[in-house]
Amino acid sequence: MYTKDKYASAVTAMPNLGLGLGLRSVHFDHILGNRPEIAWFEAISENFMYSQGRPRYVLRRVAEHYPVVLHGVSLSIGSTETLNLEYLRKLKTLAEEVRPQWVSDHLCWTGVLGANTHDLLPLPLTEEALRHITGRIKQVQDFLERPLILENPSTYVSFTGSTIPEPEFLNLLTRETGCGLLLDVNNCYVTCFNSGYDPVAYIESLPHDRIVQIHLAGHQHCGTHIIDTHDRPVVAEVWKLFSLAWQRTGGVATLLEWDSNIPAFEDCLDELHKAKAFMKAHPDLAFDDVKPDEREPALSTPIDFLVPEVLLSHRDE
Amino acid sequence: MEEKNGSLADLQAWMQYALVHPEDLSAAEDADRLVLPSRALSPRQRLAIYQRGYYARLVQCLEGQFKVLCSTLGPPLFRDFAGAYLREYPSVSPTLSDLGERFADYLQQTRPDRDAGEKEPWVDFMVDLARFEWDLYRVFDARGHEGKPYAGFSVPDDQIGLQPCIFLREYRFPVSGYYTAVAQGKEADMPAPDRHFVAFCRKDYRIGIFTLLAPQFYFLSVLQQGAEVSVALGLTVEKFGANPEKARSAWHEWKNKWTEAGFFIDRGALSG
Repeated sequence: MYTKDKYASAVTAMPNLGLGLGLRSVHFDHILGNRPEIAWFEAISENFMYSQGRPRYVLRRVAEHYPVVLHGVSLSIGSTETLNLEYLRKLKTLAEEVRPQWVSDHLCWTGVLGANTHDLLPLPLTEEALRHITGRIKQVQDFLERPLILENPSTYVSFTGSTIPEPEFLNLLTRETGCGLLLDVNNCYVTCFNSGYDPVAYIESLPHDRIVQIHLAGHQHCGTHIIDTHDRPVVAEVWKLFSLAWQRTGGVATLLEWDSNIPAFEDCLDELHKAKAFMKAHPDLAFDDVKPDEREPALSTPIDFLVPEVLLSHRDE
Repeated sequence: MEEKNGSLADLQAWMQYALVHPEDLSAAEDADRLVLPSRALSPRQRLAIYQRGYYARLVQCLEGQFKVLCSTLGPPLFRDFAGAYLREYPSVSPTLSDLGERFADYLQQTRPDRDAGEKEPWVDFMVDLARFEWDLYRVFDARGHEGKPYAGFSVPDDQIGLQPCIFLREYRFPVSGYYTAVAQGKEADMPAPDRHFVAFCRKDYRIGIFTLLAPQFYFLSVLQQGAEVSVALGLTVEKFGANPEKARSAWHEWKNKWTEAGFFIDRGALSG
């Protein structure tokens, strides 16, 4: 068991991995066959930790050639349900197998009363929630014997009972536990638009030295609100926030998530490489009014990409 | 100090209930007390974003796990069944890989003709199709034998065993031909009922689907329980009243085909 200072030191020592992509099953053959030039991959933990078949084999192969990070969606760190130790055991086993640079999940809850909604649900940001989550992060870190990296989620509601602004909440969690942060600049934009906060002030008030990774992704602007869809290119406003975050953090591992309508690997790379221009730019934080996308609203936080494609060899009658 | 508007546990129980039961308007009414309005949306409208997403996202996952069933029923009807299934059996697993685990059983339990004296064959077929797709999905991610040697043609019969990633299944319809046709985008009619025996065999992470005769299915089932080939063959001869000579000759044909497909491991090599 380590102290929070030990975890905090481990976070400080985490490297800037460069530009990476989310590891998606539609790209498996391309990656194994071509070993494309890319700095690193982020794997959705739950997609691999229960697998005894090809997904796990692919991740092991990928981890032989690239740095990987494990990114979870079911830890449910904010749930009032007891921590799922079987889940943590599986996660730890996978981590021992593929030796990720770090293990991350979201500041959210996914279910109570034995259920899993498979959604990243919002938390009331209160003293009670802070105490509760602080205790659970400590438990998780001691179990995994590594610091947890927590991501700010996209949220569509804010609660009347919340008393602590989200950046401050994250700041307090890092101070109390030594955990690190994954700043999703798209989620920041989505949450701030949906709740009427200033995304620039949000990023400015985060503890920048605790941020080890940035996420980029596309969203759908529905006029009255924004849905975090991960199904299209990154919008200009989010690139501006990325630029700001890059300056404030001094540059950290940056990853593009694309989870629905996933284009060819090379097209994902092209989108990712746009980040290079925004690393050098002086942050332009003038936000124009954005025209809503009038198409049918897409689903938030798509998860159907987590269902792998079954591979058939042949059928014999 | 007690938190405003109840505890974290109360709020989570309320919100989850509101997502799983969007039809219960009283749960949504609580949003007026618990959720802040935004510039453009009322508390209930904001909650509704999560409510719309909950079933839609999970139904989309089931569509991925039961692609051919979805195409056969048609997406609107499939989504009705899937939504009802999720209401009855919400996910309790951290992984979506388990989401469709009870879907075929659910279809069987809630079949529209369950109270009728005579059962509709098409319902049996849909249940079979659901079982087949789930079996296929399970074989894909089950413990396998990849990375280790399979038995070659020269392995003596008394050392042959089945590799771990063979699933032997029986259906009421010849579902594998229908599945393959529809999965390849071809037109296919619902087949007539006929007992259908299948071996799913995964080798190098690809799944072969093998239609079996009843004696082959029985023979492989006995082998899977750990019996030697001679014992399995003897029991098969006894059960089907077959000619022992002909059975031995048939086994040599089966052995060649199944060895090539990766059915077997060399138990002698494992123990040695």
